[in-house]
Amino acid sequence: MMEIEITINGRKRRFDVEPNKLLLNLVRDDLHLTGTKYGCGIGECGACTVHLDGEAVLSCMVLAVDADGRTVDTIEGVADVNNLDPVQEAYIEEGAIQCGFCTPGFVMTTKALLAENPDPSEAEIREYLKGNYCRCTGYVNIVRAVQSAARKLGS
Amino acid sequence: MRYDRILEDLLNRDDFLVVGRSVVRTDALDKVLGRAKFTADYVPRDTAVVKVVRSPHPHALIEGIDIEPALELPGVQMVLIAADIPGENQIGYALPDQPFLNDVKTRFVGDPVALVVAADEGSAVEGADAVRVKYSPLPSVLDTVDALRDGAPLVHEGGNVALTTKIRKGDIEKGFSEAEAVVEDLYDTPYQDHMYMEPEAAYAIPEGSGKVTVIGGMQSPFLVREKVAHILGWNLNQVRIIQALTGGAFGGKDDMGPLVCAKAALAAVKTGKPASLIFDREESVAYSNKRFPARIRYKSGADKEGRITAIDVDITLECGAFANRAPFWLWRQTAHAAGPYEVHNASIDGRAVYTNKVFGGSFRGFGNVALHFAAESQVDRLAGELGMDPVELRLRNILKPGSRTTCDQLLDHSVGIEECLTKVAEASRWSSRKRKRNGSKVTGFGVSCAYHGISTSRSTPDWSAASLILNQDGSMTYRTGICELGQGAPIGHAKIVAEITGAPMESIRIEVPDTDSTPNAKPTHGSRGLMLGGTAAADAAIKLRERMVNVAADMLGCPEGEVDLRDGKASRKGEPGETIRFPELAEELYHRGVSPASYGFYAAPKRYFDPETGLGVNYSVYTFAASVVEVEVDTETGLCEVVKVWPAMDVGKAIDPLVIEGQIHGAVSQGIGFTIMEHLKLRDGVVLTPGFKDYVVPSALDTPEYAPTIIVEEPYQHSAFGAKGVGEPAIISIVPAITNAIYDAIGVRLNKLPATAEMLHAAMRGGAR
Repeated sequence: MMEIEITINGRKRRFDVEPNKLLLNLVRDDLHLTGTKYGCGIGECGACTVHLDGEAVLSCMVLAVDADGRTVDTIEGVADVNNLDPVQEAYIEEGAIQCGFCTPGFVMTTKALLAENPDPSEAEIREYLKGNYCRCTGYVNIVRAVQSAARKLGS
Repeated sequence: MRYDRILEDLLNRDDFLVVGRSVVRTDALDKVLGRAKFTADYVPRDTAVVKVVRSPHPHALIEGIDIEPALELPGVQMVLIAADIPGENQIGYALPDQPFLNDVKTRFVGDPVALVVAADEGSAVEGADAVRVKYSPLPSVLDTVDALRDGAPLVHEGGNVALTTKIRKGDIEKGFSEAEAVVEDLYDTPYQDHMYMEPEAAYAIPEGSGKVTVIGGMQSPFLVREKVAHILGWNLNQVRIIQALTGGAFGGKDDMGPLVCAKAALAAVKTGKPASLIFDREESVAYSNKRFPARIRYKSGADKEGRITAIDVDITLECGAFANRAPFWLWRQTAHAAGPYEVHNASIDGRAVYTNKVFGGSFRGFGNVALHFAAESQVDRLAGELGMDPVELRLRNILKPGSRTTCDQLLDHSVGIEECLTKVAEASRWSSRKRKRNGSKVTGFGVSCAYHGISTSRSTPDWSAASLILNQDGSMTYRTGICELGQGAPIGHAKIVAEITGAPMESIRIEVPDTDSTPNAKPTHGSRGLMLGGTAAADAAIKLRERMVNVAADMLGCPEGEVDLRDGKASRKGEPGETIRFPELAEELYHRGVSPASYGFYAAPKRYFDPETGLGVNYSVYTFAASVVEVEVDTETGLCEVVKVWPAMDVGKAIDPLVIEGQIHGAVSQGIGFTIMEHLKLRDGVVLTPGFKDYVVPSALDTPEYAPTIIVEEPYQHSAFGAKGVGEPAIISIVPAITNAIYDAIGVRLNKLPATAEMLHAAMRGGAR
């Protein structure tokens, strides 16, 4: 067991973890933050995307011990029900949500994209999102949502 | 009953309140906040984990199973084999050919033999590895040609043909003798994996000694209840099934729901403790049902005028190890064999054949994807032979009101395919389309039509039920067994309820399907969720509305015909001054002893067919679609890109345009994947591509440009507001539209999908122009 300290969604927390524990499992099992999803477990689908020090990472590919001393943000930390993030608003308004299983990962990736590049072209959006799979929407309304979110944040 | 007119007369509104408008999905908020709960999100830490011990052989006798080495491991709690099943060891859907846990022989790589129940994931995996199964491998059959040979190894004792279908109509010899052009070819379509983002999952909680609750991903809670009860040997009322939000299903979880839930339930009941079974991605791709592969021999002829004079179609469906839905799938293919065209002379034969491979099953389009790939390729080729425009030839044969289907079903109304095709040809400027060449890249255009019967297949009786309660505070509780899978059908029901009762959308709570309290709506499949389920919702809402109007009229002192219900208020038409808010109206209903609860039930008109000729009335109604696509093929590499799609669909009545567009985009994306990208590779029955890296599905980089969706509304008389299902036709029409466009671009017709770059490259080298 190793003792680690992570700031999760703005709150500093201490954990005793096995050295092989995945950040995904720490978030889901120990913290009950179940918005972060298991889709493949080997870094291929994007459903488990969280932010590590503000950067989008696949939490199934990060060991919990590697997050020691760092900041982790999950979908639950993005907003509360009365104060949605513009990215979340845009996903709802544009019909970018169907089954919703991939949605948290997409929102986290989109937030990272817009933090890096506030005015991305459509091609840049598609390139940035290519690691997040969605089997329901065909990505049309997701790309529209990202464009709409960029406009909301820019205005 | 004519629900389209009843509702318009009843509501007598100039404009609908919510029907026909795009509204924000009521489930979207929780989903975007990460608060929506899928099955795995319900499972508490330290719940026992179930792992399936699976056959590594495509075909083998089981000589013995030694569970002792697994039981010796500290984390393993129990190992279950066939002898531990209290009920019948049988979980076949249509035919009793699928043992739940195998003890005699295994029929595909992945066939279940035992269940290990352990304290944690690691122990369960170790336990599954430790179970010693002694197999005696048998010769296997790995394709339908081998399976049909004399003396082929038998997958099941009764022979390798699970069932056959046929249609005989008119006189095909006469038809072909009248033809100016006759074309014939063989069309092969492969497995397709659903690749829903959420892998299969179930969580079972035993209660006392005679009840179990299972939370899982599924499409038909009442089917799951039936199968779980059957395995446990219990009554239906001892099993409670709750459908958790399901992270994509596309047909797959209609079949997998019972299989996965029953395993978790058996483990929970046997151990007396909660148990969960959650597939990893590899298990999901390697061992879960797939789109059934098919080989279709298709011969068709057309006269000088371009009228199709006869079709002669022979369908071989590959079941894999079990028939599963094959009787229904094959019948759909047989019944739809002509495509959406009127053909008077038809001979169609189908057979479903067992092989020692992963079993096929339900998938969006349900047989019609493979069938239309063949039929719509043939129509294009007939047009080519006759030197006629492919749209023109289609229009000369297209189904219209008054036409009869291949099965001789009279289509007296709600037939909008001619308008779909005409409009989509106009929008895409079909007649002035031009192929472009840019270096090694060539563009081409393709068109295709599609139709899909809405309702259950094989003329099984179809009905649906729903319930609606007006609570004391004026809010409403709506229950349906139709599942939310991402497609939004229950939200469509809520819109129908809102329209009829005047309740605001946000005041209607859609409860999760729970077999202990939800009326049986029958399955969420066959594009029936909105049409059948929504009409039951309308029936419940009409009954409640009548009581609300009756009480409101008395309170307002006006005739019932003058009461208007909208925005959560009752008022007298033309006099919006005096209003009764729904909380007050609800209190009054309770006070007067007028029932605030209503049960809706809707049965589709009766259908039937003659098994000898296949003729009869097969489906309640048909949804129609037409697509034009533009592709660009790189003649150097064979890489094909779908550049632009023009979609059109006859939806009966659009309940929510945004939801319809979402269904079209998603279906087109899966169709693009099926046609040019997705390739499930097997060797000796082993799936070699069990993940996103090897089984490549469309990403955000693989999205075409979409022209605005053309929505045609030819209402169906017997459904709420005239709506028909929209989930499936778009994938059916897109597949042949793409292959027809590839032919237009490079003059190569690939009759075997997928048309990956590798395949197209090889085909071009082998005789391209």
